[in-house]
Amino acid sequence: MKVGRFLVKTGIRIPLIIWAIVVIYPIVWMFLGAFKSNGEIFASPWALPHSFSIDNFISAWTDFNIGSSFLNSILVTVLGTLLCLCFSLPTSYAIERLRFRGSQVLFNTFLSAMMIPMVLGWIPLFFLLLDLHMIDNLFALSLIYAVTQIPFTIFILTSFMGTVPKDLEESAAIDGMTPYGILFKIVTPLVLTGIITASIMNAVMFWNEYFMALIFLQTEAKNTLGVTMDLMNREAQYTNAWGALFAGLSIAVIPIVLIYAFFQRHIVKGMTEGALKG
Amino acid sequence: MVQSKTQKYLFLAFCLVPTLIVFAIFTVYPLVNGLYLSFFEWSGMGGDKMFIGLENYKRLLSDPIIPKTIWHDYFLVVTKVIGIMILATYFAVALTQLRIKEAPFYRIVFFFPNIMSVVIIGILWQFIYNPGIGIINAGLEAVGLESWTRPWLGNLDWALPSLVLPSVWAGIGLFMLLLMGGIMNVPKSLYEAADIDGASEWQQFWKVTVPLVWPQIKTSILYIVITTLNGSFIIVQVMTRGGPSNSTEVMGSYLYQQAFRQYHFGYGAAIGVMILILSLATVLFLQFLLKREKVNY
Repeated sequence: MKVGRFLVKTGIRIPLIIWAIVVIYPIVWMFLGAFKSNGEIFASPWALPHSFSIDNFISAWTDFNIGSSFLNSILVTVLGTLLCLCFSLPTSYAIERLRFRGSQVLFNTFLSAMMIPMVLGWIPLFFLLLDLHMIDNLFALSLIYAVTQIPFTIFILTSFMGTVPKDLEESAAIDGMTPYGILFKIVTPLVLTGIITASIMNAVMFWNEYFMALIFLQTEAKNTLGVTMDLMNREAQYTNAWGALFAGLSIAVIPIVLIYAFFQRHIVKGMTEGALKG
Repeated sequence: MVQSKTQKYLFLAFCLVPTLIVFAIFTVYPLVNGLYLSFFEWSGMGGDKMFIGLENYKRLLSDPIIPKTIWHDYFLVVTKVIGIMILATYFAVALTQLRIKEAPFYRIVFFFPNIMSVVIIGILWQFIYNPGIGIINAGLEAVGLESWTRPWLGNLDWALPSLVLPSVWAGIGLFMLLLMGGIMNVPKSLYEAADIDGASEWQQFWKVTVPLVWPQIKTSILYIVITTLNGSFIIVQVMTRGGPSNSTEVMGSYLYQQAFRQYHFGYGAAIGVMILILSLATVLFLQFLLKREKVNY
């Protein structure tokens, strides 16, 4: 009986182990490739690199615009996340706590916006930016990123605000605190977990975003990591800079690995709740 | 409360007006204007818009590539739903029902691709499918199936199916976690009762787990369908650019081609309207199809 149980457990483990290898293998391969020369990558794709030199990283950073793109990505990620929070936090508070006429309608409008494909909107948005002379502008891209994530952020923040006890706000109001004070000094610290959850998710989205950057940015100096990596990949057929390409990919993925290591719980909560809204 | 009505309305305006303005400009206006543009012929930039009524939609119906793109999108939807749901359910059940010490390890690893950039995922999988150095062909050769090796992404018949695996790879972790959340909320006593009644583990899965986790299963399927119809073109763009000869073109990548590469912005907008209608219709249909009486034991 005990042996049978053990066999069943081992049998069930096999798919888990296989899938773990399937997930880990390409990522490890990418990091190893970042240390290999072009010859090594094709001659011995499986082997460990001969030496761990960082030439590929330097080349990717300086010769292939990964450096400037990295800084551009940092800019749009940080600015987009902050802007999104500035818009969403007061609105979430109003929807959840001020209960004005139409608050439910407004909430449902934002919710349905989460399900609508934005591809259609990209054509008018492109011309709107063109008219405003904001094409190829990282600040405009940050603002657009922020607006695309407003519905999700409001969704997360309202659910956290629902758990803040009402008495706190009432007693603060009796003490003569303004509604602005209540929002920023009482409620905001209490929904900090929600703010972090939504902001981490937004930051990961903005860091990884590719298509809007492809459409709304035009010059190499302004490109963010997604566009630059895609370009490097296209050009590698001619430049043969495979090692630098893997170094570039590694540079782009390292911040995500770090964020995942520190905020795993928040990310998982943010993504599962975002999906559960249905 | 010592605040006047005016102050109250000022605060409400402070909370709502800035958000409503940017939301109206950058989300509502583009969608409405996209609908409007679909009735025009327009090459963008300096050119004049010309009202052509339903011409773009007529063209949509006679364009031989459009049915292909729709079919490709729904092929990806169906294969992704099947692939992700089977694997995610298996992993979720395995990690919750059997006490496996290293379960947290699998949870952490399986979820990671969900937060990786699609660009990186696409590039890495291009190498996995690479005819020269990719692991798929090397693996097939190693087990003596040389005849099965092929340039996967360059093959007319295999390019589209080849996109399924990277999508499953990237998506599975989230749905595994969603289902695990549902399974862990099923009361233990139900399984014990089923044990006493002599139900096999397979029966327990179908009669206890599936009905009680149905809300999570339904949500997962809908979420996969929505994200695929609204975003499949990203992995297509990175991995194949719609090629070889349109064999992987999906609705979104065709819109990009028509609008931003060939400057048929009106026609592109019409494709966008089609995507919008199809994805809303599909979601409504699925919501109807997946409806089940809520189960309580």
